[in-house]
Amino acid sequence: MREPTDPAEPLQASDAVASIDPSATSEAVPVVEAAAPQGFGALTRRGILSTAGAALAGGALLLRGARAEAQPASPSRPEAPKRASYAGAPPGMPHRDYQPVVVPNGTTLPWKLVDGVKVFHLVAEEVEHEFAPGLKALCWGYNGQVHGPTIEVVEGDRVRFYVTNRLSAPTTVHWHGILLPSGMDGVGGLNQKPIDPGETFRYEFTFRQSGMGMYHSHHDEMTQIAMGMVGLIVIHPRHPTGPKVDKDFALMLHEWRIDAGTRRPNPNEMTDFNMLTLNAKAFPATAPLVVRKGERVRIRLGNLGPMDHHPIHLHGYHFRVTETDAGRIPESAQWPETTVLVPVGSTRTVEFVADVPGDWAMHCHMTHHVMNQMGHAFPNVIGMKPGGLDAKVRKLLPGYMTMGQAGMGDMGEMGMPVPENSIPMSGGEGKHGYITMGGMFTVLKVREHTNGQEDPGWYENPPGTQATTATAAELQRDGIEVPKPS
Amino acid sequence: MKRAAMLSLALLAGGCASMQKERGHQEVAALVEARTGLKTRWDQGTPEDAEVSRHLDTLLGEPLTSDRAVEVALLNNPALQQTYEELGVSQADMVQAGLLSNPVLSGSVGVPIGNLGVTEHEFSLVQEFVDIFTLPLRKRVAKEQFIADTLRVAHEALSTAAEVRKAFREFQARRQLVELRREVLLAAEVSAEFAARQREAGNITELELATEQATAEQSRLDLSQEELTLVEDREHLNRLMGLWGPRIQWTLSESLPELPAKEAPLEHLETTAIKQRLDIDAARKQASLMWNALELAKTTRWFGRVEVGVHTHRDSDGPRLFGPTLSLELPIFDQRQGLIGKLEAQYRQSERRLTELSVNARSEVRAARARLQSLRMQAEHYRTTVLPLRDKVIAQSQLQYNAMQIGLTPLLTAKKEQVESYRGYLETVRDYWMARAELEQLLGGRLPGSTEPPPSPAPPPAPAAPEHSHEHSHP
Ligand SMILES: [Cu+2]
Repeated sequence: MREPTDPAEPLQASDAVASIDPSATSEAVPVVEAAAPQGFGALTRRGILSTAGAALAGGALLLRGARAEAQPASPSRPEAPKRASYAGAPPGMPHRDYQPVVVPNGTTLPWKLVDGVKVFHLVAEEVEHEFAPGLKALCWGYNGQVHGPTIEVVEGDRVRFYVTNRLSAPTTVHWHGILLPSGMDGVGGLNQKPIDPGETFRYEFTFRQSGMGMYHSHHDEMTQIAMGMVGLIVIHPRHPTGPKVDKDFALMLHEWRIDAGTRRPNPNEMTDFNMLTLNAKAFPATAPLVVRKGERVRIRLGNLGPMDHHPIHLHGYHFRVTETDAGRIPESAQWPETTVLVPVGSTRTVEFVADVPGDWAMHCHMTHHVMNQMGHAFPNVIGMKPGGLDAKVRKLLPGYMTMGQAGMGDMGEMGMPVPENSIPMSGGEGKHGYITMGGMFTVLKVREHTNGQEDPGWYENPPGTQATTATAAELQRDGIEVPKPS
Repeated sequence: MKRAAMLSLALLAGGCASMQKERGHQEVAALVEARTGLKTRWDQGTPEDAEVSRHLDTLLGEPLTSDRAVEVALLNNPALQQTYEELGVSQADMVQAGLLSNPVLSGSVGVPIGNLGVTEHEFSLVQEFVDIFTLPLRKRVAKEQFIADTLRVAHEALSTAAEVRKAFREFQARRQLVELRREVLLAAEVSAEFAARQREAGNITELELATEQATAEQSRLDLSQEELTLVEDREHLNRLMGLWGPRIQWTLSESLPELPAKEAPLEHLETTAIKQRLDIDAARKQASLMWNALELAKTTRWFGRVEVGVHTHRDSDGPRLFGPTLSLELPIFDQRQGLIGKLEAQYRQSERRLTELSVNARSEVRAARARLQSLRMQAEHYRTTVLPLRDKVIAQSQLQYNAMQIGLTPLLTAKKEQVESYRGYLETVRDYWMARAELEQLLGGRLPGSTEPPPSPAPPPAPAAPEHSHEHSHP
């Protein structure tokens, strides 16, 4: 009945396993995938006494995995060998099986173990979220947060997600980039009925890959993603490869349209976004990434913004992109880079050793993505001479002052009254003055000593390592002639 | 009050057979004063008129008010003075009607042509006799005509007063509308200058600059049109006040007043109008006098000419003869059918005219009352809702500008829209006062509570924006 369609498909063993699974379909891989969790789950329920059976099943899979590994490598089946290595393993536990991630400005989703299955509960609901001091908006998120809490699991974990809908609209959860049975994929109408308001659905599957995935609503995506219904999924490898990292940060990139003076994102906006966030916070509300000198740092970046790819640039270091959303990149394929492009719907993970102390900027390099609530209808007045114009305008509008002739940089610190609930253009104070950046900007703070993730304050640059005004003596010494202003 | 005036009118109209110059105008003045509280005068070149002239200069020396403008017009409007002369004509007719026809003395002398005979003399003194019977009736008709004319003239004076009030409001509002138009121009000029400076910096296209400049120039034309209208409105008022020469230098300090806090009670206005309006009264009198004239014609239809006299005659050779004469017209063919028919028609005509006037007066009062109420409602809506919203739009635009969400141009557009709303408000308040004058004219008197509330529709206040908390450097 079943016809292998892929030349890379394992032969006898998979047929045998497939027969166990009543939900077997004509697709080759899902049969195996569905089968493994089932066996795993059944074994777990049977408990310790079934170790012989488990060993047997594991052996069969191992055998199968070994055979599969012997096949020519195919890009569509990369995890086949790995799967064997975790099957039957107990649920991954923090600090034993993995080093938990740090989610700046966010949290990880708690779970409980029920018969060897990690049980999670997500509640989709409206949340009043603060993007930065001065700007709150009614968004949609999960468990009282925007974005949803980060889900953290270990490769091979059997998971059960209960999803309760407390929104006014139907919703679903799609496990983005996660390999699972089609019926668990969460596309409303395609894979399942949408979860109506007040209903709770159950999703259950086994993580059989490692890397970073994401979750988001897959019903009326345009509205629900734009309203913030996204989250990260960190899947730690059962057997990590590569050097061990000391700090593991997870960041979700997102973009929004929130007009100055409103208090709800506009999901109808297609292209013209004015709020760019890291873990749903805009600078100066983005928590710094605090690292001790010499630590190996991993930064995981996910992007579920509606529209824009974000070239995230880190100052001070070369990093290597070690993972994409499909898994770990072989070491031979990792490039040294300072900017990693995170496309919409993708994750990227970078790693580096933080061996130079300091305050290092990390930001999206699309310049308008480091602005808060930028006004896109402001006229171009760069280089304009206001002359006596201001006095004339003030006859009509006493509060008027021409601005923007030298750009928007100093707008944020002018302290002029602005619409309520808005943080237009503004950035925040830095050690050496006003930082004219907002949005997707945060600071990697590398110190000799740290106190966890506690903000250590601004870096004190050792003498001689700080750019300052050049003295006349220096200029003369080096034969620099400064042209007079014309 | 009205009854007393009528009584004095009747007394005055009775019996005098000689012309009295001030006659009639005093009645007009009493009627007008009773209804407006203001005196009117008939300029007849007397020493008192010089007094009036000085009074006019005093009135015009101070800033003009609505009441003062009406007073000047009542004293000085040439059309009104012209109308007052009609009273003279009417009075003359009345005097004429009270006179008996003069006796007729006729005589003849006959001189013989040959040698025979002597000169013959014949004399007669004949008096038209019917006059004695018809005179009281004729006098009554003429008196009624005079009263009707007086009422009509007083009505004219009141109409002029109402027209002055309307023209005054028109002018008063226009001054403020011109000011607002200047503000619109300033906004457009500033917008164009902003564009010019942007263009100079190389930031906008020639097209965008030209568009802004064209808008500003259009605003300039709009202003000059409005300034012309202001001159025309002033001249309208000058004509109504009969002014020329140095007297046209009058000034105006008050702006258009706010609406009165409470509207006068608007019930029973139709009845009031019917009772109080002088033109209706005049029409009523006219109908009544047509009836009397008709009666007169009917009672005398069988009287022909009756002439009674004495006659003396001496023939050439006879004795001198003396005796009465009687000449009697026999109304065999002409029994005044034509005159009676004409008077009957004219009587019915005057009745119809009274009906028409009353029906129209009632309808006009209803319409004017509705207009007054609607304009009050609109003005209130402007004041309590539209203008505060416009102020809010300005304040919020300023905030959006501060946040660099919008530029100067939309900010100025908001300002222009605010000014336009204030213009709409001013026009509504002006129309309200004009409707009020109109209603008062239709009622033939003033509405209760017509003393003027304090001036107010102020020009749009510019929003008080807080100063910047922080110095900002500019090149
Ligand atoms: Cu970006």
